[in-house]
Amino acid sequence: MEIPVIRNVLEANDKMAAQLRDIFATRGILALNLISSPGAGKTSLLERTLTDLAPEFRMAVIEGDLQTDNDARRVAASGAQAVQINTDGGCHLDGNLVMQALNAIDMDGLDILFIENVGNLVCPVEFDCGEDAKVALLSVTEGDDKPEKYPLLFNLAKAMVLNKVDLLPYVDFDMARAKQFSRMANADLEIFDLSCRSGEGLQAWYDWLRAQRAAKKRG
Amino acid sequence: MHEMSLVSSILDIANEELAKRQLTRLTRVVVHCGQISNVVADSLLLCFEVLTTGTPHQGAVLEVVNIPLSLRCRHCGQSFTGEGQESLWLPCPLCSAQCGYDIVQGKEFFIQQLEAE
Repeated sequence: MEIPVIRNVLEANDKMAAQLRDIFATRGILALNLISSPGAGKTSLLERTLTDLAPEFRMAVIEGDLQTDNDARRVAASGAQAVQINTDGGCHLDGNLVMQALNAIDMDGLDILFIENVGNLVCPVEFDCGEDAKVALLSVTEGDDKPEKYPLLFNLAKAMVLNKVDLLPYVDFDMARAKQFSRMANADLEIFDLSCRSGEGLQAWYDWLRAQRAAKKRG
Repeated sequence: MHEMSLVSSILDIANEELAKRQLTRLTRVVVHCGQISNVVADSLLLCFEVLTTGTPHQGAVLEVVNIPLSLRCRHCGQSFTGEGQESLWLPCPLCSAQCGYDIVQGKEFFIQQLEAE
């Protein structure tokens, strides 16, 4: 028997993402989905951000990793709420996992929720977690051709953080090339050159977060 | 490598549709897959075989139909057929601008048809 049925395979995820988006909208929470390769510095960026903006915002983090709660412990040291999700081999976070993690977060008065995705430039892009924006992270110890190889992330992201710029004198990373290809995939992409280690460039990132947060609050 | 969770979703949807019609055995599934949906058809087939083995759906056929990429230039607003992911940063073939594209088609992944008994 033939059953003509057109159903999006990711419909269950999209439905969950829509519910998450409603929750974030109702509460005026800015939700950002951080996506990068392993080791680009997502956790370091969060450690700095959570510490430096603690006087201004209430923030929480959902940490996605295959194993360990190392990252949740690192960011929780800043005083922010942190919930670890272990995907046990799963290559991405999805709406369902984020919804489960959200149950463990006190959302009263929360300003910003960071979703630190599993380190991977492919699969996390496919799964909507109800976020306001995807933020792509790239570090100068990686290849400067990442935006050419994985353009979909840069096409869909609202901002890109170029981390570890303090190491530029020691590596062959071509900043112009990385930025050029990112902007060719997405002319509106906001790009922040920074170093979580030295602290340079962080202010521009913080200003962007403040503006995004204010825009979300206005609704 | 998220094909395992995709196949698992395909089977959830199939089981739901079969249950509505009092059918028990899936014999064929046709999925349409966008060119830049980051789905590897071979992995999909392998995962489908793994997840159906030892179930009533064992032996069912999974057919993957490719949906070509269509992009709309953010500068000139015209649409064209892209080649692959690199089209996302190549210049617009119509106006030569390089400022990014909206993806009109090519990211979808949906079930088009089921056959069951």
